[in-house]
Amino acid sequence: MTQTMIVQSFGFFIAIGLSPFFVGLIQTTKARIQGRHGPSVWQGYYVLLKYWKKETTLPENSSLIFVIAPIVSISVMLLIMLFIPWGKQLPGVLAGDFIMVFFLLALERFWTALAGLDTSGTFGGLGASRILTIGIGLEPMLFAVFGLCFFLTGNTHFAQISPLWLRQAPHLLAWFLAAGGFALTILLEIGRLPIDNPDTHLELTMMHEATQLEYNGRLFAFSHFASMCKVTAMLAIGWVWFGPTLSSQWWTLLLHLFELGVSSILVGVVESFTIKMRFFRIPYYVSAVIGMGLLAVVITAF
Amino acid sequence: MMVIAYLFLLGLPIALFARQPLRSKLSLLCYSLLLLGIALIALYHPSTMMVHGALFALNPLRAWFLLLLSIVAVAVSWYRFGYQDHDDKATAFWLPLFVMSMTGVLMANTVWVFITFWELMSITSFFLVIVHHDREHVLPSGYVYLVMSQISAMAIIGGLFLLVSQVHSADLSVIALKAHAMNPGMKNWVSALLFIGFSMKSGVIPFHIWLPRAHPIAPTPVSSLMSGGMIKLGVFGLIQFLLLDVGVQQVFWAVLFLLVGAVTALLGVLYALMEKDLKRLLAFSSIENIGILFLGLGLMAVGIVLHRPTLEVTGMIATLFHAFNHALFKSQLFMIAGAVQQHTGTLDAERLGGLLRTMPGMGIAFIGGSMAISGLPPFNGFLSEWLTFHGLLSLMEHFGAFWMIVSFAVILMLAMTGALACLCFVNASGVIFLGVPRASRSNHPIGKAMTLPVIGLLFVCLAIGIDPNWLLSPLFAVFPQKPTLAVSSFFPSSLMVMSIVLLLLLTFFLWLSRFWTMKKVPNWQCGRVVHEQRQMSFTAFTKSVRTSLAIIYRPHRHLERTGTQAAYFPEQLIYRGGVRSIWEKYLYRPTYRLVWRLSGLTSILQAGSIQLYLIYMLGTIGLFLLFVH
Repeated sequence: MTQTMIVQSFGFFIAIGLSPFFVGLIQTTKARIQGRHGPSVWQGYYVLLKYWKKETTLPENSSLIFVIAPIVSISVMLLIMLFIPWGKQLPGVLAGDFIMVFFLLALERFWTALAGLDTSGTFGGLGASRILTIGIGLEPMLFAVFGLCFFLTGNTHFAQISPLWLRQAPHLLAWFLAAGGFALTILLEIGRLPIDNPDTHLELTMMHEATQLEYNGRLFAFSHFASMCKVTAMLAIGWVWFGPTLSSQWWTLLLHLFELGVSSILVGVVESFTIKMRFFRIPYYVSAVIGMGLLAVVITAF
Repeated sequence: MMVIAYLFLLGLPIALFARQPLRSKLSLLCYSLLLLGIALIALYHPSTMMVHGALFALNPLRAWFLLLLSIVAVAVSWYRFGYQDHDDKATAFWLPLFVMSMTGVLMANTVWVFITFWELMSITSFFLVIVHHDREHVLPSGYVYLVMSQISAMAIIGGLFLLVSQVHSADLSVIALKAHAMNPGMKNWVSALLFIGFSMKSGVIPFHIWLPRAHPIAPTPVSSLMSGGMIKLGVFGLIQFLLLDVGVQQVFWAVLFLLVGAVTALLGVLYALMEKDLKRLLAFSSIENIGILFLGLGLMAVGIVLHRPTLEVTGMIATLFHAFNHALFKSQLFMIAGAVQQHTGTLDAERLGGLLRTMPGMGIAFIGGSMAISGLPPFNGFLSEWLTFHGLLSLMEHFGAFWMIVSFAVILMLAMTGALACLCFVNASGVIFLGVPRASRSNHPIGKAMTLPVIGLLFVCLAIGIDPNWLLSPLFAVFPQKPTLAVSSFFPSSLMVMSIVLLLLLTFFLWLSRFWTMKKVPNWQCGRVVHEQRQMSFTAFTKSVRTSLAIIYRPHRHLERTGTQAAYFPEQLIYRGGVRSIWEKYLYRPTYRLVWRLSGLTSILQAGSIQLYLIYMLGTIGLFLLFVH
């Protein structure tokens, strides 16, 4: 029990600390594929430090909501990180389940969109509308995959899902469908594919960034850091559920960190070689994932 | 202690004798507090009050609904001290009667008392809805409500009479014992009539059209009570009569509940998205939440049909808990809508904006209420939706391929409903309360009497969201014969840990941000100037949803140019756009026309000429004479 506690808190802090590095890995990969040298992989830390030191100002039309929104984002992301089993198990008080994570992600989306409307600007409102419209597709996608995981393992708890997976040999195809569906869902959730591009500030591709235009200083550092943590958290959930585990908790933690690095590079590669979609094509993307979920359910049911 | 429960009949003297405005408001508040006391005693100390008379009785299920009703009544009657109504005399007369009749429906222990109070409830609520009958559109909408509620009452009365004729007793406690053993054919008829009647009163799709008509025209205290209390009584009727007493036996009923619930939830919120009138938006959102309640009822029905007590209890607790939560935040949101109307004189969201500055308490409460209704932690809506999801997931597990696919589909629809509710309420709270003010600039001050009950309800929502166990523990007494399930098996402690850690993290980062040192500077806005017209408008916010789901919405737009050279140099552009209701076009209009034509046929017999009627009378007398002879 004490070992679980130690591994969990260790993993929690390391994963948070490495979040800017993983995003840096994605950006470096993309730069190398494009033939550029690109910024250093540690660029995320410099950026965060720069924002942290700067003076924070508020736009004159804004209200309390503007201050609270990035704080909600960072709190939610840290909370999700806390509920991920970094070793193999979770301490009892943290036996969280995926429905909780689902609603926490919705909470973050709610506040980010609200902050976009609070600045009384055109872009903020557009970004808010886009984020939430994407959410309409995203939430059934998440539940298609979550529900499938529940169905295959009979458990909603994070810590108990992964070990049970390996015993489900007859449902190997369902496993692949679930993993593939979750990968597509993650890409949409962290705003990489199929429409968003977090590295540019072009109004055509802005979603999350459009709501952040008025932020600076510490508040922007918070929301920036929150989006980095989101990448780590979503990738980690994927690996915890669909990846292998090792016999020792410490080795499992190390394995997860290694996997996170690998998957960051993978995200960079996939993003470089995939063409972005039009906004109104998103229902096709969503229905592909939901179709995969349904197919997996039908396969296992009969 | 029997007398205490009969005290609810005090509503009648209050309505009749408390005519002075202040006295009537004060007496209604006391009356609501009395009801709250009765509900709390009956729920948490049932042994001190053995209420089981011939006419009225309270059990945990009824006491639970009485609790939610009386909390809404207390908040509403408090709110009335600040609410300015032009025709307060009529409201002051009908409102205590309305609350009393709802209580009577809950406490009734015979079919006759139940029907009497049910009809009294329909009639009093009709008079409350048409209080402002001198305004435009009020009477036609009120009549739609009256007709729908009477059709529903007819179905309920028919169902209950059939039930009485089968068990040979009008006593509800006898019915509860004997109704299970009815013959299956009759059971189906009773179930069908009760289902139609009660679900019409709850406002499920396709019987929903009265809700968005009746709620906006009613004074705010009335719409709060109707949405928070009255439509839940339909759900109460379904639980008490259909699911607990009669008990469903075929899979058909369970699937019907789930299907109706999922469709109602999804379509309700989709329609809510397109409403510019804040109260109509809230009315459609009530329809959505009734859909979620029906999903819980569906789970309960599956549990009954397949004899799985755990699922049955989960479904019922999910329904009861969500009904309670919805009563809290929906009545709160309606009260804020009333305050917005009083503050600015309009409910049209396109003309509102930036209200957080002039009414900060209401604005914060609306955002909190929006979070609760979208099912976001740490508010109470999150827990009841969590439980509904959990029940649906457990339906996926052990019940075979059919239930698995049904519940998978329902889960996806519910997830989508949650996201749409989020969109809808971010739109409402963001456009109305944030940003800079739009066209409407009058600001009539809002008093503390209106703000305090609203904030109070928000705190209750938060308290329940952090620890629901104290509230839910007496509910398990509804199932004395079933295996006792601890509340802790429903809500794991990690949910509480999550809420508390979330609040701690928020406080920590708020402190870390040093927000008190931040200066206000002019907006950047990519170099543009902030202008009320350049903000995201209410309609534009949902544009992409409207485009993607054109098949449901049937959007239409019309652009008119005016001026001498309108084609090239228009002086004014007039834009009209909106969505069409397919239910009214394809279901209600044809039905209405059919009824109209059928009633036209009676004119062959009844033409209105005295000579014809005299001939009828003569003929009747002749026939009688022949018959007697």
